Amino acid sequence: MLFNSLTFVVFFAIVVALHSAPLPWRVKKFNLLIASYLFYAAWNPPFVLLLWISTAVDWKAAQWIYNSDSKARRRLFLTLSLATNLGILGFFKYGEFLLENFQTLMAAIGVAYEPPSWSIILPVGISFYTFQTMAYSLDVYLKRAKPADSLLDFSLFVTFFPQLVAGPIVRPSQLVPQFAEPKRATPPQFYWGLGLMTIGLFEKIVLADSFLAPAADAAFGAQKALAPLDAWTGVLAFSGQIFFDFSGYSTIAIGAALCLGFALPNNFRFPYAAIGFSDFWRRWHISLSTWLRDYLYIPIGGNKKGRIRTYINLMITMLLGGLWHGAAWTFVIWGGLHGLYLAAERLLREIVPEQKWFSGWPFKLAMALLTYFLVNITWVFFRAQNFGDAMTMLASMFALAKAPEKVLYWNEIIPAFLVITGMVATHWAMRSTTKEAVIEKAPAWVIAAIWAFMLFMLVITQGSDSAFIYFQF
Amino acid sequence: MPSSTSSSDNAYPAVKTTFFDPEHVDRPIPARPWRGVLISALTAVILLTIGWEIYWRGKGYIPGDYKNDSGMWAHERRKATADATVVIGSSRAYYDVDVDLWEELTDVRPIQLSLEGTSARVTLSNLAEDESFHGTLIVGVTALLFFTQEGGKREDVLQYWRDETPSQRFDHRLSHILDRYLAFIDEQTRPKRQMTIAMLPLREGMKPRFDPRKLEIVTMDRNAEVWDRVMTDEVYREEAKQQWRNAFELFAPPPTPDGSPPPPMPDEAIDAVIADVNADIEKIRTRGGDVVFIQPPYDGEFAMIEDNGFPRERFWDRLLEKTDSAGVTFKDHPEMQTLYLPEWSHLGPRDAEAYTRLLAPALYAELEKKKADRTAR
Repeated sequence: MLFNSLTFVVFFAIVVALHSAPLPWRVKKFNLLIASYLFYAAWNPPFVLLLWISTAVDWKAAQWIYNSDSKARRRLFLTLSLATNLGILGFFKYGEFLLENFQTLMAAIGVAYEPPSWSIILPVGISFYTFQTMAYSLDVYLKRAKPADSLLDFSLFVTFFPQLVAGPIVRPSQLVPQFAEPKRATPPQFYWGLGLMTIGLFEKIVLADSFLAPAADAAFGAQKALAPLDAWTGVLAFSGQIFFDFSGYSTIAIGAALCLGFALPNNFRFPYAAIGFSDFWRRWHISLSTWLRDYLYIPIGGNKKGRIRTYINLMITMLLGGLWHGAAWTFVIWGGLHGLYLAAERLLREIVPEQKWFSGWPFKLAMALLTYFLVNITWVFFRAQNFGDAMTMLASMFALAKAPEKVLYWNEIIPAFLVITGMVATHWAMRSTTKEAVIEKAPAWVIAAIWAFMLFMLVITQGSDSAFIYFQF
Repeated sequence: MPSSTSSSDNAYPAVKTTFFDPEHVDRPIPARPWRGVLISALTAVILLTIGWEIYWRGKGYIPGDYKNDSGMWAHERRKATADATVVIGSSRAYYDVDVDLWEELTDVRPIQLSLEGTSARVTLSNLAEDESFHGTLIVGVTALLFFTQEGGKREDVLQYWRDETPSQRFDHRLSHILDRYLAFIDEQTRPKRQMTIAMLPLREGMKPRFDPRKLEIVTMDRNAEVWDRVMTDEVYREEAKQQWRNAFELFAPPPTPDGSPPPPMPDEAIDAVIADVNADIEKIRTRGGDVVFIQPPYDGEFAMIEDNGFPRERFWDRLLEKTDSAGVTFKDHPEMQTLYLPEWSHLGPRDAEAYTRLLAPALYAELEKKKADRTAR
């Protein structure tokens, strides 16, 4: 079920009503669990089985790990959990990719191998919930947390509908304890939750889908050499589209959970004001970057095994982070570029002595713009259909493409640039603060006017038909 | 998190585990007079929405004009089983055949599956592959679409129909409620659409895009007719015609290097299309169904393009002959040639009624004649 659908409006109203009813806490949790399964089944009912498998395996594996004194047995049970989750992920998400690459490899050594056609549908949000459940087993294995008390609480942790299909990826220790005691939103929490849902829907439906998607889709859909203005408009528009789309989802998720009395972690903090790439990854998809840090980068050694290993570990983490997004080499290149940026930044910090003027705003602004520029280079690989298209787009951006064509009309260029300029300026202005802090200080009539404007835009935009981009991951 | 099991391993946290990123989970709530803020915002939205509705009604939009989306097509497609009578084709078959009137005249209610800007071949293949369908298929032929492409602008409805999720189905039902009462619920009134059709200067070297304006209103079961504004607003009608001119310019085959007109479609290419069509027809006939072609009227600049580019003898007559099918073209019926086409391609509502009254008996007569021919052979 899409957040940006009428069905979700009805669904959410029923869930909130049931959650506010005078029922025992256990019954309310059952309601939430059933609602979450319904939410997921609304896409494809059989895929609920995957949630059940993931829940059952991780529930038992964590208990066995916890109750086991033998290191070998603990490792065995962890392997069972990881193999199940990664197996599901690998089969549904990477099966075709592996098969295609195997075919290419065979062809390279002269073996003509024709694999059977692969017609497996990717279960929506599979990368999110498998990572979430793996975190549970890993936390128990790494002795960071004890297993959950109740299967009901754990099942709800795996399937909690606001963040089930596109995050934020929540740690067991962040969410499971919240199910232990009765939760109901206070009136301010409920209103602010609705406010966050409005902001998220506005980001997705109005900014991403209406103002930016036309330019990004036309430029990347052309799949030919473009005039530099068209190429830059397309790439910048995509940088905004992917942000508003994904940040929009996270904000709706946080708002929906808050309306029910639950707190979810932030996933974005104005990332296009980042100064450098370590700063960027503290602001972009925070729940994934911290997951990768805690369950991949640190376990493989992090920065504790010498300088060279640190760089290698960074690259491994970012390459796998790229692959997490999708089964294509373009995503690997996207991750690889981020790994290179992070490594280069680390190296520069080591060799360039700190200067006084580094802390002045002109330098910071220049570095923020440089970071945004470099991020846009990575988005080319993220959005392009294949490596060839990405290279054509890059050549187009730098006026190196042969026979470039104009494909965008002013009707797409002007809205895209207006929104992008506003977005970057807002991120810079909000760099060191939060939405909550700004709203706390704003006059009530200004908040009401902005809220009314966003709601009215949602009404006249009449929702949108497109799914969130990150659902495919 | 309290432990649920007893374990000798005391390396686990003994007390409730704290969050890894407490600053990200501790959600501060801005202290504002939220109730008043929300009531003010909702009041403003209601007033603005009323104003918006009045504005679009003033532009000719009406409640009860349903969104002609993939969900609606999928809903009708599910009805196209067994011995149903189904209309497929492009926008001409869609706007010109009045399904309500057809039912009144024949006691048979056709299912309308035509798709604007899309060749009938895509739906023909789909129904041919559907073993459950053995009814009568009325295939609208717009030659410049039918013979030149397999799909078209709306071909993605098939993918939607196959993959439609339960929530999309439910959403479709809910959106119908809004369509019934609100005029502004229309693809054309969306800000995105308004930005696309805003009259801005063209960039140097770019051609105007082909972007048809709203031409139709649609009832809940896809019975469509040309929108009143096309009939009454001359400026709007001229804009609709201008869009066809844009299409002719954008999609015209390029001239040969020596500047002479592009060569006509070769016979082999026409025969290849007809062979594909025939294969699909045979599948339907094998199951007991039948197929009949119709060619609704056109005039103006369409007549110049279609009559020159797709002469009847090489296309229409050949199609009927090689597929051994019945067909009704407006060119054989003088009374169909006098009907009014406000923008050269689609009949006005009253003329669509007149066309349907002429078409239904002619079509069944041709079908019977063809069946008798086949039996006699």
